[in-house]
Amino acid sequence: MASTALPWTTPFASLGDPSPLSHALGEPAWLADFRQGAAEQARLVSLPNRARHLWRFSNPERFLPNQDPMELVPAPAPPPWRLEEDLAAAVLLSSTSVQVVHLSPEAQRAGVVVAPLGHAPVQEFLGKAVPPHHGFLEALNAAAFRPALAVLVPAKVRLEKPIRLRLVASGLSLPRVLVVLGEEASAEIVEGHVGGSKGSLVLGVTEVFVGAGGELCYDLVQRWELPVTGHLTSRIVLGENAKAQLALASFGGEATKVDTGVVLAGKGAEAETYGVALGTGTQHFDHHTEHIHAAPQSHSNLDFKVALAGQARSVYTGLIRIEEQAFTCEAYQENRNLLLSEEARAESIPELEILNEDVRCTHGATVAPLDEEQVFYLKSRGIPHHQALRLIVYGFLDQTLSRLPEKTRERIEALVAGRLHGEVL
Amino acid sequence: MSTAPHLDINKDYAERYGFSDPVAYFARTPKGINHEVVEMISRLKGEPQWMREARHKALDIFFAKPMPSWGNQELLGRIDFEDITYYARATQRPETSWDDVPENIKRTFERLGIPEAERKFLAGVSAQYESEVVYHSVKKELEEQGVIFLDMDSGLREHEDIVRQYFGTVIPPNDNKFAALNTAVWSGGSFIYVPPGVHVAIPLQAYFRINAERMGQFERTLIIADEGAKVHYIEGCTAPVYSSSSLHSAVVELIAKKGAYIRYTTIQNWSHNVYNLVTKRAMAFEDAVVEWVDGNLGSLLTMKYPCVVLRGERAHGEILSIAFAGPGQHQDAGAKVIHLAPNTTSKITSKSISKDGGRASYRGLVKIRKGAHGCKTTVECDALLIGAKARTDTYPTMEIAEDDVRVEHEARVSKLGDEQLFYLRSRGLSEEQARLMIVNGFIEPFVKELPMEYAVELNRLIALEMEGSVG
Repeated sequence: MASTALPWTTPFASLGDPSPLSHALGEPAWLADFRQGAAEQARLVSLPNRARHLWRFSNPERFLPNQDPMELVPAPAPPPWRLEEDLAAAVLLSSTSVQVVHLSPEAQRAGVVVAPLGHAPVQEFLGKAVPPHHGFLEALNAAAFRPALAVLVPAKVRLEKPIRLRLVASGLSLPRVLVVLGEEASAEIVEGHVGGSKGSLVLGVTEVFVGAGGELCYDLVQRWELPVTGHLTSRIVLGENAKAQLALASFGGEATKVDTGVVLAGKGAEAETYGVALGTGTQHFDHHTEHIHAAPQSHSNLDFKVALAGQARSVYTGLIRIEEQAFTCEAYQENRNLLLSEEARAESIPELEILNEDVRCTHGATVAPLDEEQVFYLKSRGIPHHQALRLIVYGFLDQTLSRLPEKTRERIEALVAGRLHGEVL
Repeated sequence: MSTAPHLDINKDYAERYGFSDPVAYFARTPKGINHEVVEMISRLKGEPQWMREARHKALDIFFAKPMPSWGNQELLGRIDFEDITYYARATQRPETSWDDVPENIKRTFERLGIPEAERKFLAGVSAQYESEVVYHSVKKELEEQGVIFLDMDSGLREHEDIVRQYFGTVIPPNDNKFAALNTAVWSGGSFIYVPPGVHVAIPLQAYFRINAERMGQFERTLIIADEGAKVHYIEGCTAPVYSSSSLHSAVVELIAKKGAYIRYTTIQNWSHNVYNLVTKRAMAFEDAVVEWVDGNLGSLLTMKYPCVVLRGERAHGEILSIAFAGPGQHQDAGAKVIHLAPNTTSKITSKSISKDGGRASYRGLVKIRKGAHGCKTTVECDALLIGAKARTDTYPTMEIAEDDVRVEHEARVSKLGDEQLFYLRSRGLSEEQARLMIVNGFIEPFVKELPMEYAVELNRLIALEMEGSVG
């Protein structure tokens, strides 16, 4: 079928018809229809531009693909993944393939589904947390996503061990992950982004639904190779009394834009977001977080820490919104930025939108250099300068990391340590 | 670029329009905005060529600039620029009859204890407030010190050299759409020049100005404090100002030279039909201190973000504001500080109260330029919510391009606490008294910065606004 010209000048000439892609991936009709609808949306949604709030500090052009997103380009096979820990499931996503590396017998018995998105019964959830009209890049993803994975944890199933997803970047990647936790189910999911090379662009979307009373830990760990550019959008929707803990860790990539959030849609829902970003060289981070309190008696807490060396730059915008009918809510938000060099830059925009009176909200933000007194103190104890700096950064990030579950914390701390010693300081 | 036709009516105005002294011919410009209206205003005032050109240039900028894409789009969208009268001569303004003044405004005057003459002035019944006796002694004292305190039109006539040197240097017309509009059609406002080393002992108030334009729609104020000078200026008043014109767009420029101190206090209480879209900015040179004390109580929609540009080393900027948004009101107020020089410091304290469907937004910017090391800045926003459907927003932006700085921002939102109420009631206060006490405590840091008579009036006004809020 003929491809449709887009009504504006884009770096790529056209957005092809999604049906050949859908056919090639052997997808059911409902999914093909979803892609068609999204392709329509992509033509309606305006291109990201700097006049829009969330694009004020990042150049949108860096995130636009320079090829037709529908085009399937052969990619090298990802390096094999040796599992070193005990997992409920492990899935490797690269190019167009979804490879279930491991699914524990317990998970299988419990009816946990880990499958390509088209082969899972997720029709009613797809596009509900991050709809195609969320933005242009999200519309592109919805029309052309691959590889795509669905994770379903049935009601009342409590997974002891985590599910790990490894998403390997190469060329233009449009990964999509959809997670549905049934009522009173519980799970920890680690979405790890790795790989990539010069010219790699990742436009990812993650949608997560947690049923009433469900509990989820979701770790979004980004450690791309340095030349990668990526835009990751994710939303977690919480049902009544559901709990979510979101851990964000951004280390790699040349330009990274993350738009993540939790919608507290059910009464009594609780959300915690803890994030760290560690940048050096000319890395550019742009993180946006949202906690949307749409139901009464919901609670949220957010703590986001950024340490920057070299000429790295970070932008953080965080929104807490309390809807009109969401009475008796509490929401806290904190963003701290540590500048380790003269050339590092940080922007911080914590925002509150509160539409009813029965709430308690605070937010705080700081940007500060290394405390010379702390450095002096450590040096006076015989610790060399470099190590003193590392200790201080470590301590700075640790205030946030210590609130994560032990396993998650250890994993992220190891990455922080690796990066601090290897590249940053 | 502007698509509006550029009328070059500077050259042959007299031939084409047939009169050179328009005073006798019109009392007010026709509704709507175009180059002819601008020309009429400028001719009427008998302004020098450069000012006339500046007005026309600004009008082109106004046409070319889009409306802000942020803020309260619904209310902004309702402004009809063609349905506004941009200039009316002071003496020819429609003299409202006292009987036409709305009952609630009269009641407020009564409750605040505003003197009779002042009431009429505030209600637009008389063109000016007669305070000649007070004014004469003040004027004499100021003149002896070499202080210039005039309305802006007289300032331009009598001190053209100073005005020309500074006019539009702090807020150029292309700053934003409303600054452009003001530059094109400005009228009235204050012009103050304080010579080096002079400390003006009493706060200067627009009230003292005689023969001044009445508080106008498009005021233009320029205050220059020369090296080491010190001045406090007070604009507005706590009493409600009744206005039949719906768009008020002032521009205020402050220049604090080396070691100078300027405090600018505003209390805005426009009637609830007014759009109050104001641009205020100060330049602070070496060791200068600029303080904005800004209270927003009235208007339908206020968009005002007083700004201090810290240009010289060790300059200090401080912005203290309160906003009270009652039913239907949107107070979109905030503050901006731009740190351009090293070791500059700033502090922003914003307090807002949203009550019964009112909406208060804090929108702020702290910017630290590369090389401005050793800067310190603190931003604190407190919001209090009272009653159902109240809304509060906080949109602070911090852009930091320097590592050797300390930037802090904090915001708190809370409702009138049940525990606090319970405590006060257990001490024998009625619920209404208790509520009032909590609100007064909340805005106390602001009130204590006001001159005594303003503080008293403000407290009474808050009491009035809080009335009937129980239950």
